[in-house]
Amino acid sequence: MSILQAEQLTKTFETGGDATKVAAVGGVDFSVAKGEFVAITGASGSGKSTLLHMLGGITRPSSGRVVLEDVDLATLDDDALALIRRRRIGFIFQRYNLLPELSLLENVALPLVLDGKGEAACDAAARKALEAVGMAARSGHRPDELSGGEQQRGAIARALVTEPAIVLADEPTGALDSANSARVIELLQELVHGQHQTVVMVTHDPDSAAAADRTISMRDGLIFSDTAAGAGVS
Amino acid sequence: MLLRQWARRPGRAAATIASVAVAVGAVVATWVSADASRTGYRRLTEAVEGFPTVDVAARGGGRFDAQKLPSLADIPGVRAVVPLFYRPTLLRVGERRVREVAVGVAAQTLTELGLMKLSAGRPCVSFEEVVLEESLAESLGLGLGDEILFFARRRIERMTVVGLAERSSISWFAETSGVIVDIRVLGEMSRSLGSLDRARVVLKGEATRQQALKAIRKRLPESLLAEIPVGRASMAEDVLHSADLGLDFVTGLTVAMAWFIVGNAMLMNVTERRRGFSLMRLLGATGRQVRRLVVLEAALLGLVGAILGAGIGLLAAGPISAGISRALQAPPGEQLLVQPLVLPVSIALGVLVAMAAAWWPAQEATDVDLLEGLASAPQPPARGTPWKFIVAVGLLTLLAVLNQALVLTEVFPPRAAVPGGMTLLLAFVATTPILLPPIARLLAQLIPRRFRVETTLAVEQILRQPVRTALTTGVLVVAVTNGIGLGHAIRDNVDDVLGWYSRMMRADWVLTHAGMISAAGSAEGLDSGSAETEVRELQGIDRVEGIGIATGRLAGSACVVVARDMTPGDPLPLEPVGLSADELRAALERGEVAAGTVLARRTGIKPGDEVPVEVFGRTTNVTVAGLVIDYTSGGSSLHLTRAAARRLFGMNKADLLLITAPEGQAERLREPLGRIADEHAMLLRSFGDVRAFVDRIVQGVVGSLWAILGLGFVVGSLGVANTVTMNVLEKRRTLGLLRAVGMTRGQVTRMVVIESLLLGAAGGLIGLFGGVTTALFIQLASQPLLGHPIQASFRPDVVAVNLIAAVAITAIAAWLPARRAAGLDLLESISAE
Ligand SMILES: Nc1ncnc2c1ncn2[C@@H]1O[C@H](COP(=O)(O)OP(=O)(O)OP(=O)(O)O)[C@@H](O)[C@H]1O
Ligand SMILES: [Mg+2]
Repeated sequence: MSILQAEQLTKTFETGGDATKVAAVGGVDFSVAKGEFVAITGASGSGKSTLLHMLGGITRPSSGRVVLEDVDLATLDDDALALIRRRRIGFIFQRYNLLPELSLLENVALPLVLDGKGEAACDAAARKALEAVGMAARSGHRPDELSGGEQQRGAIARALVTEPAIVLADEPTGALDSANSARVIELLQELVHGQHQTVVMVTHDPDSAAAADRTISMRDGLIFSDTAAGAGVS
Repeated sequence: MLLRQWARRPGRAAATIASVAVAVGAVVATWVSADASRTGYRRLTEAVEGFPTVDVAARGGGRFDAQKLPSLADIPGVRAVVPLFYRPTLLRVGERRVREVAVGVAAQTLTELGLMKLSAGRPCVSFEEVVLEESLAESLGLGLGDEILFFARRRIERMTVVGLAERSSISWFAETSGVIVDIRVLGEMSRSLGSLDRARVVLKGEATRQQALKAIRKRLPESLLAEIPVGRASMAEDVLHSADLGLDFVTGLTVAMAWFIVGNAMLMNVTERRRGFSLMRLLGATGRQVRRLVVLEAALLGLVGAILGAGIGLLAAGPISAGISRALQAPPGEQLLVQPLVLPVSIALGVLVAMAAAWWPAQEATDVDLLEGLASAPQPPARGTPWKFIVAVGLLTLLAVLNQALVLTEVFPPRAAVPGGMTLLLAFVATTPILLPPIARLLAQLIPRRFRVETTLAVEQILRQPVRTALTTGVLVVAVTNGIGLGHAIRDNVDDVLGWYSRMMRADWVLTHAGMISAAGSAEGLDSGSAETEVRELQGIDRVEGIGIATGRLAGSACVVVARDMTPGDPLPLEPVGLSADELRAALERGEVAAGTVLARRTGIKPGDEVPVEVFGRTTNVTVAGLVIDYTSGGSSLHLTRAAARRLFGMNKADLLLITAPEGQAERLREPLGRIADEHAMLLRSFGDVRAFVDRIVQGVVGSLWAILGLGFVVGSLGVANTVTMNVLEKRRTLGLLRAVGMTRGQVTRMVVIESLLLGAAGGLIGLFGGVTTALFIQLASQPLLGHPIQASFRPDVVAVNLIAAVAITAIAAWLPARRAAGLDLLESISAE
């Protein structure tokens, strides 16, 4: 059962004054099934982040459609899109995922708080999510009192707290050492296999990519290959 | 390198420049406007009081030979020496007879010098020529070319009206008289050619009377003396004194506010780039190099901003100054008067403050550990009690109180209260880091639950940046302190004067001589005895009070002696200080006198003293019963009952008759009183007329102060808008993240607005305390000027207006940046460092 479809997605940026157009993503088709762990790899500048941003409703495509849980994101206005991001999508960025002003617990609860949930409910859900990533003991700490790996685990907890349809991660281990990277990837794997979550992750790291069920590899804004784990080129 | 950085972040550089421009512009505009107010006040006093003058008169009283008067015209600060000759006369116009004092002056010369203005005709030069004051001419039904008969010492002159003079241009020498004849003609007619009653020395606007007095006294022969003329009620002057002090305060506070704005802008500009600096150091730049770069940048941004601001300030000062002139009903100045120092000082200070404000955070940024500087999140705020600030508040308050004590004990002049007030203000601003967290949390409770998310985030943001928040709030604290403090002080002062005036003039009708000259004494007696008798005999009168006014001298100081009917049962028309009205009344009835507080201060007399007082060349010892708040002649007055005045000084006549009708029947007296006025050549004015004159002055002064205060608020709002804009720019990443995790544009807008509102309300509340304290400060500071404490009061309307203004201004100021925050491109914000 497919949860996310990208149909003929393109994104063109106009740069500078000379109005040269950069086709960051040049026509991409694929779909993600529920419970799948997809890795997107490719050289720097190949359009991975741009694609992920379009999937998550952060940028609108120049053409093509993104359908998330049977909803065409292009039909939504800004506020409705914000609601989808808040409730149905969990984001994890490479770094600076957490607001420095808030404690870890408050950071994790943020999407629920934004949604106007009661304080007790927010707290309980956030605690549960922190437990799931093994960070419950640090819930009162501020982000700058946490290591990079701990911050990323906190970011995962926040991405999960709303029980989203899909988690989108852009190089979540890009700023971590190998031990911490492994820890984070393990967590994501657990999510998918244990809780039947769906995860799309951009990564440079072959080891991380190997942990996924399927690897989409990009080159110059196009899908170059799409392989299931242990299988050949499809 | 710098240029490239700016080009990459044009918003930040522009916001920084704008902050400096706003601040410097405010300083320039306020400074120039305050100068315009002072000029306006001076013009107003000139209109009321005439020009600043010094009188030369015979020591023994009476006339003196013009030959004895040495040349004074070359004394620095002297504009003109005007010999005066007064002569009571009887005019006949058709069937009407009018008693007037004719004033002999060199009319032609005065007109040429611009010291007298004719609305029609030409000055009188020869026999048979007379100039009349416009309204007198009108009331007598006379115009140019008409004739009047002039009775003087067995002669009757037939004179032609050749000119009409503007009242305001002649009152400085003719007082309330309206008949002007050439001085040689009048002298000749009086058979005393070559003698003078007095010579009035007109000073240039910038000259002080004390210096002129000294210089003139040195040249005078033994038989002549120089003194500051007294006589006309000059209640305006004390309002102006306090207003002047108020202007100093406003200017000072605007300067303080401006530096907060500049400091804040620089602080943000630098703090925001901590990571960048750490990176530069990582790449091999020394801390010194980085700091030098930052200070150089601050100097450049500051200079551009300051020059822009000076231009803006001058542009803004134009209409404000014109508005002030209009409020003061003074003719608008020919052109904007800009003191040569204003621009260079404002610009230089702008640049210096910018550099200083940039140096400090740069120092901090380069002091921190390299890795810490590179860390993903900025440093958390220091938790716990902010001892640094508590100590600062304590020290500043102590300093301010000490200063004030020295002002009160007159070790320091009243002006010194201004730096004292500023110190106190700094103390209040320094309380913001201490008070802001609890106040912000408390106020957050008042925001509807619906906006809980936005509120929580807003409060976090506020508490996150204590120094910056304090500076931003500081701008508001200053604006509100300004508004509330001065609002109170001005209104209290005005009320004080108005209270005195209505106490003094409690009547429906005022009857005076058309040409009463109080200062000339009444040796020849413009007797109003019969008029007074006639008025007292009228039907339908509740109360008649006669007031006699004469010039006197007490302990070498000129004063006005006010003799007044004080009927038992009527309220005492004086406000005693330090004793009850009943005690004072009893003492006055025993024949003692009450002294104005200013006179007491000037001469050092105290209640219970017996002092010699000279009136009409006759010296009598009187006992001072107590002090009273009074503004007659700026408070240099002695008050006593008419009975006592008759006995002690031979003062018989009433110069003024105050007539009160029973409740609601004032209008009925118009006709009979008008008839008496006509018969005795007196002037009948309703209390409303008199009151309108005083109101005009008071409103002008108050209006001009409000205009400058309003300017402060505008600047405050610009400062807030700027700070919030910078906050938004700096928080692009945070805002981007919030939007990425599902915050709607509406929520972002509301969060930024709530943040600003909380700042506004907190600033307003702290400013409220600051304002009330400042008001007390100003009142205490003007006490030595006035000689008595002014009743301080709490005015909810002033407070409400200021608080609402503070909150409204922040809300409006936040709107644009909030929209901008909501409109930030999500992707760009996320990728922003
Ligand atoms: N806002 C933008 N404006 C203009 N061009 C952009 C913008 N964002 C991305 N691009 C361009 O689009 C292309 C794809 O960028 P993208 O960030 O998606 O690459 P990426 O695969 O994520 O690279 P990396 O692995 O380095 O993160 C690049 O050539 C980039 O220069
Ligand atoms: Mg990328």
